[in-house]
Amino acid sequence: MTIEKTEANGRLKAEELTLNMGPQHPATHGVLRLVLELDGETVVKCTPHIGYLHRGVEKLSEHSTYFQVLPLTDRLDYISSMSNNIGYCTAVERLFGIEAPERALYIRTMTGEMARILSHLLWLATHALDIGAMTVFLYCFREREKLVDLFERLCGARLTVTYPRIGGVKNDVTDEWLDSLFEFTEEFPGRIAEYETLIDRNRIWLQRTKGIGVISAEEAVNRGLSGPTLRGSGVAYDVRKYMPYGVYDRLEWEVPIGKNGDVYDRYRVRMEEFRQSNSIIRQCIERIPSGPILADEPKFVLPAKERVLNDMEHLVQQFILMTKGPQTAPKGDVYVATEVPKGELGYYIISDGTGKPYRMRVRAPSFVHVAALPGLCEGNLIADVIANIGSIDIVLGECDR
Amino acid sequence: MKMTFNDFIKKVFFVEIAKGLALTMKELFTPAVTRQYPKEKRNPFPGARALHALVRSDVTGEAKCVGCGLCAAVCPSKCIHIYTTEGSDTMKVVNRYEIDVLRCVFCAFCVEACPFGAIALTDHFEYSGYSREEFHYTKERLLENWDKYMAGDKGKIYFERFWGPKEKDIAHSKPSVAAGGGA
Repeated sequence: MTIEKTEANGRLKAEELTLNMGPQHPATHGVLRLVLELDGETVVKCTPHIGYLHRGVEKLSEHSTYFQVLPLTDRLDYISSMSNNIGYCTAVERLFGIEAPERALYIRTMTGEMARILSHLLWLATHALDIGAMTVFLYCFREREKLVDLFERLCGARLTVTYPRIGGVKNDVTDEWLDSLFEFTEEFPGRIAEYETLIDRNRIWLQRTKGIGVISAEEAVNRGLSGPTLRGSGVAYDVRKYMPYGVYDRLEWEVPIGKNGDVYDRYRVRMEEFRQSNSIIRQCIERIPSGPILADEPKFVLPAKERVLNDMEHLVQQFILMTKGPQTAPKGDVYVATEVPKGELGYYIISDGTGKPYRMRVRAPSFVHVAALPGLCEGNLIADVIANIGSIDIVLGECDR
Repeated sequence: MKMTFNDFIKKVFFVEIAKGLALTMKELFTPAVTRQYPKEKRNPFPGARALHALVRSDVTGEAKCVGCGLCAAVCPSKCIHIYTTEGSDTMKVVNRYEIDVLRCVFCAFCVEACPFGAIALTDHFEYSGYSREEFHYTKERLLENWDKYMAGDKGKIYFERFWGPKEKDIAHSKPSVAAGGGA
């Protein structure tokens, strides 16, 4: 390494060092590889390399029926698979022109918010661990366990749930299950207060997060950011408010926003979202109506099991839907955006009238957020790269697809 | 920004850190929530989706599967392989029914699809092996799984609560009831 004196400010200037951060780096939240060019401890250039988790979900979906695509969407953002499922089912329902029954919409809203709490808990746990707060990690997993247990009781799986169906949901929720969820929502605000006691005013946490990774509201909009990353900069954009799906337009809740657009504000926004999600779940439990959980649309929705077992038409219908997909799907395209914990997840589906999507494009928030990473990191210290990666909350399964 | 006296006291005496430490100290005296996994085991909730099993019929003592192939068709990961031939009385005979468990994504679409209630996902999740062949489950091994993990009331409850119609027991009824006529 050659060292020479620069003329401009008289400081020693070292040759730039190229550093590969990832793909196997615990703080990159998956298999993200960053090529960093460093001048001392300052990042001069940051180049994200993605694609290590590419499984070809979009191409695979062209060869699967609308029904079979559902488990693929689980594996986009595997931390909140419920939200992905709900987004996909909402998109396909809008394409087919059918509507899920009221009870199913309430269940979806409820489980979607559970997924948001799950995802934010994992985000808080790992983000705090990256920055140096170990205890929060353990406490967050304590609450996560209760929620994934509820998912297991509901549909048999803890992580990749495959719970919503086109036209409704798979299982009905029982009263005992709703009681357990209500118990959780009663104790959870106290738990949020615990996390805040630990890190909210902690001076190490403040020094690592305040004024780091600042992104202005205008730049955030220009870069296409969404979700808490955008709202941390003070833009009150939430798909659930602007293009409501589920029953979000019938519930009372607020969109928390930040002010400065730094890592700390994004953290605050997510902590407030915990409380909002908690209140949404409580409202859903109180208002959930009784009724069917699957739409009565024999051309698109799987028939009920008792009908399949007892008459020929429904048995044939089940065979056709499961092997070939719906035969009367309307031609055309649809774009449906949903608010997943990471941001705006959009499904653009083109249908050519057969039982399989002609093309399915996934607008993944993590993909857009990774593109904003160089702007956040360049000119700052290498230690702040970790805080920045954590604060934009990316999942590489969704980014690479 | 001017620092107030209150802020100054907080800064000097590490008030926020003391509060955090008090919380962790309090947790020290609450019961542990962790489980010492291999020694202490948690029972999976009923309906948990894990290792596969083929349902053994109470009536015939054989597999209920008739080899329609709907599970293989709907499987998103294509892990089910069914080989059938024509039997003596023009009945379809299932010669081989194989599941490549390593490919399975445990979506349980096969259970949802089956018009006979002939396949189930048990709640047995602790299986490991040294070779890939051990995870290639044949028909005999899948029937064994049913006897081991789902026999008796457990399988009955599983189908009733999660997959079956609410009033009828599809896993244990006679095949002719479920066949939907002789079409």
